[in-house]
Amino acid sequence: MTSLVADDVAAASPPPASPRRRRSRLRLRSTLIGWSFILPNFLGFALLTLVPVVTLFYMSFTNWNVFGKADWIGLANFQRLLGDGSFRISVLNTLYYSVMHIPLTIVVSLGLALLLNNKLRGIAFFRTAAFFPYITSIVAIAVVWNLLFSPDYGPINQILRFIGFENPPGWLTSSEWAMPAVVIVSTWRDMGYYMILFLAGLQTVPRELHEAARVDGANVFQRFFNVTLPCLRPTMFFVTVMLTINSFKIFDLILVMTNGGPGQSTLVLSQFIYKKGFEESQFGYASAAAVALFLLCIVVTIVQFFWNKRRSY
Amino acid sequence: MKRKFAAAAGIAIVATLSLAACSGGSGDTPAAEESSGPVTLTLSGWSLETTPEFQTLADAFHEKNPDVTVELKEYDPANYNTLVTADLAAGVGPDIITQKEVKYVTTFQEGGQLLDVSDVKLPDGISGTSSYEVDGTSYGVPYRQDSWVLFYNKALFDQAGVDYPDGSWTWDDYDKAAAALTEGLSGAGSAAKGTYQHRWQSTVQGFANAQSKDGDILKGDYGYLKPYYERVLALQDAGYQVDFNTSSANQLTYQGEFGKQNAAMMPMGTWYVATLIAQQASGDADTFDWGIAPIPQLDEKTTGTDKTPVTFGDPTGFSINAGIDKAKVGAAKKFLEFAAGEDAAKALAAIGITPALLNDAVVETYFGVKGAPSDDLSKFAFSTHETRPENPTSSKTAAIQGILGDLHTAVMSGSDNIDNAIKTAEDRVKNEVGLD
Repeated sequence: MTSLVADDVAAASPPPASPRRRRSRLRLRSTLIGWSFILPNFLGFALLTLVPVVTLFYMSFTNWNVFGKADWIGLANFQRLLGDGSFRISVLNTLYYSVMHIPLTIVVSLGLALLLNNKLRGIAFFRTAAFFPYITSIVAIAVVWNLLFSPDYGPINQILRFIGFENPPGWLTSSEWAMPAVVIVSTWRDMGYYMILFLAGLQTVPRELHEAARVDGANVFQRFFNVTLPCLRPTMFFVTVMLTINSFKIFDLILVMTNGGPGQSTLVLSQFIYKKGFEESQFGYASAAAVALFLLCIVVTIVQFFWNKRRSY
Repeated sequence: MKRKFAAAAGIAIVATLSLAACSGGSGDTPAAEESSGPVTLTLSGWSLETTPEFQTLADAFHEKNPDVTVELKEYDPANYNTLVTADLAAGVGPDIITQKEVKYVTTFQEGGQLLDVSDVKLPDGISGTSSYEVDGTSYGVPYRQDSWVLFYNKALFDQAGVDYPDGSWTWDDYDKAAAALTEGLSGAGSAAKGTYQHRWQSTVQGFANAQSKDGDILKGDYGYLKPYYERVLALQDAGYQVDFNTSSANQLTYQGEFGKQNAAMMPMGTWYVATLIAQQASGDADTFDWGIAPIPQLDEKTTGTDKTPVTFGDPTGFSINAGIDKAKVGAAKKFLEFAAGEDAAKALAAIGITPALLNDAVVETYFGVKGAPSDDLSKFAFSTHETRPENPTSSKTAAIQGILGDLHTAVMSGSDNIDNAIKTAEDRVKNEVGLD
């Protein structure tokens, strides 16, 4: 329908003076209009994100302590990082957290999305309920889960004792169980957000494929692995990349739940950066650690991109 | 035609917004004022509504010097040092910087933010001046010096049938009292515990550092912490005080634990006196008889009211911004001299603050406040003590205290034993901070 109208309009307009000039002026105007819409957002991004990040790279080669000049000291900060025991612990903790958090969140949110991918009456309520933890105040989450995880008086251990575990874990008070406890809360918080993404992805799975598979005699599991998952690949890739980067950068939940403790068992890389920068005023050193975090995220992301490219046929 | 107009309007709006954003950023810089005529000094403070000391000092100074007004700048207490740092780095810091924590003094001083105030006259007997000295030069003046004492609830002691502290306690006496109190109270039908120890690392390490022979956190040897932690863990295991993990999970407040009579004793800083008086008056805390006693000592050498008990505490002081208007320096130094003097000390004592200058007149004013304990032991505990700094003034202090804080949480939560934790802390200090 629209194509017919466009042809009429094109026929009705006066013949162009010169086709090439008309087209480049049109393109210039389109570009200007485009830029004028992007500009406010880009200015904000440049001022608040791009410039600080570029400055960060410079700072990591200096010994700036927020006052006074930043003296260039070359790679000294990075050498110090390599020998720093706390840095090593924070990297290991970050990796430990990510390795637990990423698969768990994917499984839980995909499961929720599959469950809630129905057009039942009232399904919107359940979707909202699953999303709710993501928008709740992080401090409120920390306080409530701290109480739930209380080793002697908390409901979780009481239930565990009731069903037969005589020595339930110490959760946030024990250096072995503190990180798993944080992972549980983090998964509970993130599952709603990634569920929404998976729900959107599930809408793109064509119904005909499912019908065809059912006709061919495939059961639920076979349909899931051979129809749903392959169609979900772009969404899965996006979710994995976002989840990985966000897991490496985890900070707020750790800060309010355990503050890196007990001891250093939940110290993560972002918290190490924060401590060195804001508590010990060693901003040059903290910048070097931030560059390390950046490198970690980008290397893993590049690997994921390559893997995804190779796997797509 | 319409699209052309819309595009032009869009570009114009964007251009205007960008320019407006660019120009709005520069702060207001006050014009330089002449030395004669009215002078306004800005002073950084926190929680102004519940911390009246700043306004009290500002008003008292203004009375004596009507041509100088001290304006308070409020900062969030939890992030005070970070916010003041940001303001100083941007050049809009306050004229008079309140040093909330001693461990940040060296950061400011090494960054060239503090003026040399060695020429400000200080009264004799004022304590806390060493915390503001770096290489023999003084960069700040103390106006307040809190120290740690033992708060005790006389009503609960009576209920348990235990004798009040008499100023001669060692830590062994304290442990025995905690045990007797817990058992006596539970026998009398009360759920209160013998004592409450708050979660801060200073509740154990502060005493260890001050009272031990080799208690110096800058040396890097922490074996002297062991007996203090063993004692506290024993109290916790026996149930004579709430254990650290429960306290963390339930986020107990020390004001609540002592004020609502959940514990008969509590080591705490003298700042709590003013809070307790105010809370008893407002009904937030229960009404009961209480007093303060000298903190238990390591051994008999320093016990008894004829000797000087050893405790710890850090001063709070004022420094002058090195970037202050040259014309205002005189007025600023005058304020510092006033804040350390006897008039300011009496004004502070009248609102329950422990000033750095504690002569007889000041102590009388302090205990003249309605609701303050009136017994002689309380007066002794308040006025007579050797207060060693909680944080030595050094650029390594912040990092070392962070490491010792990790030791504290590891040991108190039971996730590591004390020997391991001490070894870890010593290795970390060598590795991360470096000892010269």
